[in-house]
Amino acid sequence: MYLLRLILLGSLALLAGCQGSSDRPVMKIGYMNCNSAEETMERFQPLTKYLSDKLNVEFQAVPVDTQDFAERFAGGEFEFAHTNSLVYLILHEEQQATLLATEKRGNYGSHTAGAIISKKGSGIKKIEDIKGKRVIFGPQLAPSGYLAQYDLMLRNGIDPELDIAYYAIPTGSFKHEKVVYSVYFDQFDVAAVPALDLELMTRAGKVTADDFNILGQSPTFPYCTFSARKDVDADLVKKFRQVLVDLTEPDTVDYQGETLKVLASAWINGFEALADSDYDQLREMAKRANMPPYQEF
Amino acid sequence: MFKDRVDILLAGLLLVCVAAGVALLIGGGSQASQLNPSLDKAIARDMTYQAKVSFLERLYAPVNELQQNGKYEAALLKLDELSRNYPNEAHGELLRGEILLRMQVIPQAVEHLAKAVRLSADYVDRQSPLSRRSLIDQLIANQLPKLKAKALAQENASLQKTLQNLYYLQGRLAGGCE
Repeated sequence: MYLLRLILLGSLALLAGCQGSSDRPVMKIGYMNCNSAEETMERFQPLTKYLSDKLNVEFQAVPVDTQDFAERFAGGEFEFAHTNSLVYLILHEEQQATLLATEKRGNYGSHTAGAIISKKGSGIKKIEDIKGKRVIFGPQLAPSGYLAQYDLMLRNGIDPELDIAYYAIPTGSFKHEKVVYSVYFDQFDVAAVPALDLELMTRAGKVTADDFNILGQSPTFPYCTFSARKDVDADLVKKFRQVLVDLTEPDTVDYQGETLKVLASAWINGFEALADSDYDQLREMAKRANMPPYQEF
Repeated sequence: MFKDRVDILLAGLLLVCVAAGVALLIGGGSQASQLNPSLDKAIARDMTYQAKVSFLERLYAPVNELQQNGKYEAALLKLDELSRNYPNEAHGELLRGEILLRMQVIPQAVEHLAKAVRLSADYVDRQSPLSRRSLIDQLIANQLPKLKAKALAQENASLQKTLQNLYYLQGRLAGGCE
């Protein structure tokens, strides 16, 4: 009897083991790091598991540094990509990546904008006042933390390379918050900050609306974007897009013994299927600012 | 009749209760005869409503001022700040929708305006000082034909949601139920 129980238990364990090793195809999704690889994985692994469950594909999440993204994507390292909208433009222009869906978050939904701010009481009240001042930007490939403001300055007759005293980019993680605090604590006169980060910091009570003058804000353009490598099966691409667009706030996923809300765990409000032409505003900005993928030397 | 002290005590308590009841009836009756209760209720209701309107005007005064000066981004930030204490408050939703509309962020503007109307009927009530009927009417006239044509040309879940919200607002203006 004891032997029989042992055999039965062994068989069950074997069966469970067989269920775990799936014969589903394995594919990789490269996620652009915002602050750190750890944060990226924490945010996007539940969403990746949800996509795996829905599409019957074993998706693996890969955190990728922004600067390395285009090169690793071109090297065929991932089938799908989640990047900011400027990196999407690079992948689209250079590797013919297919647009899937755009993330919705904050006041402008699937769109975002870049703002230029100064500290209230600094005497810097208009965009023209930034001439000769110390300016801090976000990272160079950030569309709403660098490009939008660089372009906004150019369109207002200010050449950031010539007309401001000095400009810098912070190091390490949480660059957008560092930019805001640099102005708050008088380390710089003016900051280039994504409208979304200013909104989130205000909502969190880290700063107040009365702390800053908003000297200008760019037009809105698409926010973070999912895209696919050009050789990925068209049917899978279509289904992937549909799963994202259909995601709603109550949808959950079982992940590491917990039932998690998919969108909330990824800090996302939803997805929208935009057209590639919706990115034209951003294209024009990148061309005017001589930024990739339109940079000319 | 009274067999022991307990009976006496109980009878005494009963008398006290009867006397108190009679006193209450007489007192209440004389008050009711002095005031019209329905008038009292109407005054209380109007006072509460005026207090609400006045509170909202004071609370959102900085947002309105920024909006009137064309500082829409700063007005949104002020709303973000106020939403810490009053999350999902109807008037905040209305103002957010109004500001986003002025910034031509149409889908989000429609979403917030519909949310505000769902939370409070004041915004479609002609008699209310908070009414935004003309703004909503104009929004529907300007956006509905455009969005309907766009929705026919492309399948888009977000666009459908915006259309649903516009139809909802249209229904509320017409006096329809939810």
